Amino acid sequence: METHKALFQQGQHRLDKLKQLAPRAGDSLLEKMSAKGINRRDFMKWSAVVTSMLALPNPFTSLVAQAAEIADRVPLIWLHLAECTGCTESLLRADTPSIDTLIFDHVSLEYHETLMVASGFQAEENLQNALEKYKGKYLLAVEGGVPTADNGSFLTLGPHGETGLSRVQKAAKDAVAIIAVGTCASFGGIQAAAPNPTGTKGVQEVVKQPVINLGGCPPNERNIVGTLMYYIMFGKLPPLDMFNRPKWAYGSRVHDDCERRGHFDSGEFVEEFGSQEAKDGHCLYKMGCKGPYTYNNCPTERFNGHTSWPVLAGHGCIGCSEPDFWDAMSDFEKPLSRRLLTGLDSTADTIGAVILGAAVVGIGAHAIATFFVKPVDY
Amino acid sequence: MSESPQVLSASQQVKLKGRVTHIPTMREFAFTPLIRIFHWLRFLAIMILLISGFYIAWPFLMDPKSTDVLIQGWMRFSHLIFGFIFSCITISRNYLFLFSKDKSERRSLLDALSIDRWRSQIKAYVFLGKPDEKSGLYGPLQLVTYASFYSCSLIMVLTGLALYSRVYHEGLGQLLYAPASWLTYICGGLANVRNIHHWFTWVFIVFLIVHVYMVIWTGIRFKKAAVDAIISGYDYHTHAHIEPFPVTTSESVNINEPTIPNKSIL
Ligand code: HEM
Ligand code: SF4
Repeated sequence: METHKALFQQGQHRLDKLKQLAPRAGDSLLEKMSAKGINRRDFMKWSAVVTSMLALPNPFTSLVAQAAEIADRVPLIWLHLAECTGCTESLLRADTPSIDTLIFDHVSLEYHETLMVASGFQAEENLQNALEKYKGKYLLAVEGGVPTADNGSFLTLGPHGETGLSRVQKAAKDAVAIIAVGTCASFGGIQAAAPNPTGTKGVQEVVKQPVINLGGCPPNERNIVGTLMYYIMFGKLPPLDMFNRPKWAYGSRVHDDCERRGHFDSGEFVEEFGSQEAKDGHCLYKMGCKGPYTYNNCPTERFNGHTSWPVLAGHGCIGCSEPDFWDAMSDFEKPLSRRLLTGLDSTADTIGAVILGAAVVGIGAHAIATFFVKPVDY
Repeated sequence: MSESPQVLSASQQVKLKGRVTHIPTMREFAFTPLIRIFHWLRFLAIMILLISGFYIAWPFLMDPKSTDVLIQGWMRFSHLIFGFIFSCITISRNYLFLFSKDKSERRSLLDALSIDRWRSQIKAYVFLGKPDEKSGLYGPLQLVTYASFYSCSLIMVLTGLALYSRVYHEGLGQLLYAPASWLTYICGGLANVRNIHHWFTWVFIVFLIVHVYMVIWTGIRFKKAAVDAIISGYDYHTHAHIEPFPVTTSESVNINEPTIPNKSIL
């Protein structure tokens, strides 16, 4: 509790300082919310939920609420590299805009290709201005992997045809913190799948500064906003796991919190989609669920306004938020032990059995030969 | 077969023609009780780990009709219990190899450095003569095989413990959390840790049958203790005893000359 007290004071102190900065022109968060029919009570509930998600005790709710309100003081630059824009889309295209979406709207977003009106030279100018004006102050969010082969020439952006590699390195240089949004920015994603001709890598491999990785295809909007809130409150990186993912979001496996887990332990498995077992909600392990190898909070946070998530919808987890998931988690509808080894059209067990067979044949031949050779002389 | 006179050494051939039996003569202490206990405990652990491991990989018993039957839970439980037994054995056995008072295992390292011993052991396996007397417990090829077996055991233990502590976060799991995270990081995710754990399982299956065959074969071909050495702890050397055929020559040979030296255990 002592540490929490200190942390609270640290957060309050930082927020007080941020409050003195000029807000971005426009309505306050509360005004924006009431325009969307969200009242203060909903907002406080949301703050409490985010607080508990961040694994902070209840009193921090007031900090989260303040952080959300002054989110327009922290400049955010968002780059798109080799990606599908799905992360942005999933954040913005909710049919009922949640508070998370609203906050994303409220953040002082200085540059975001999907959202801004400008294009071409104008857009480029905006980026350069933002990088210059907020030097050493802006948060950098990157969506998409970074092609590095041939000096990054597989991805060029903007009117000058700058490579994504050079753009992200330049932007990273003066950022206060870097958030890799989604699996591509974190680990390369599908672009980095073997044989990876474009040499795509995660942002962390091409910049020198530490990067917060928010894996997921897409990552939960809550995880993106929660990371922003954490940064605004404390001005530092949250506790991270071995792949630099915030522990509060990626601290436990999908399998640990899955609602089908009881069926796993008692050995009730789906063996065919559409079967009675599938309808009864049995465990999808034998249908290739990769929940046991995947760190994420999908079962608890869910998607689309907490409506559902893949396993609830009836398909196994494909491990989309893990490094190299396209290779490491394939085949998506078979458990790891039944996966076909790349290019070999056989499982590890087939190969093991063949080696075993060869050993047995060798032993047999050796044993038979023993009968025909001269016994040893003693 | 054994009646053929060529089996006798040159010196014996001149002596007599007769039926050859091999009498154990010299008893030699080979395996300390601790080593023997570890050996059989490890055998048990590996068998159970193989069965429960493959079951975990593809749970084939279906339809328990009641949610009280935690079949997968029990399989995982037994895998973990015997996994811990296996881990303890692997770690203590490595310690014993390095620091046991009995130096005979460590002496095998000397054999492994001798090209002649290598040559003689490989020749023995392809039916060209018998292996040299070795100074340690294991021949060079054996030592290398066992060393690889131990490395594979260590890989199983490390990946197994990593899988364990990435699931159970308290107590031992907490203690192992940081190293397990590191290992998971090195392997590029938990799925790869599990893959490695699965692939190396096959090493144990292949090792098991080759190992059993080699032990029995060595016992038969070189007329010495085979499986019994790892039970009783003693290896023995044999001595060819020639039981003469009814004597056809008039020569009086002392056929009752004792063939069993004093050291005999019989
Ligand atoms: C000779 C030794 C061992 C063998 C042959 C073996 C075999 C296996 C196999 C085949 C699997 C299933 C992998 C898959 O899903 O494809 C497995 C899983 C596992 N093993 Fe082992 N294993 C051994 C030792 C150990 C040890 C020493 C531990 C450490 C305590 C361990 C802990 C585990 C764990 C935690 C799992 C995952 C189970 C789950 O979470 O459902 N194993 N093992
Ligand atoms: S459906 Fe997947 S995540 Fe859920 S219990 Fe089964 S294996 Fe685990």
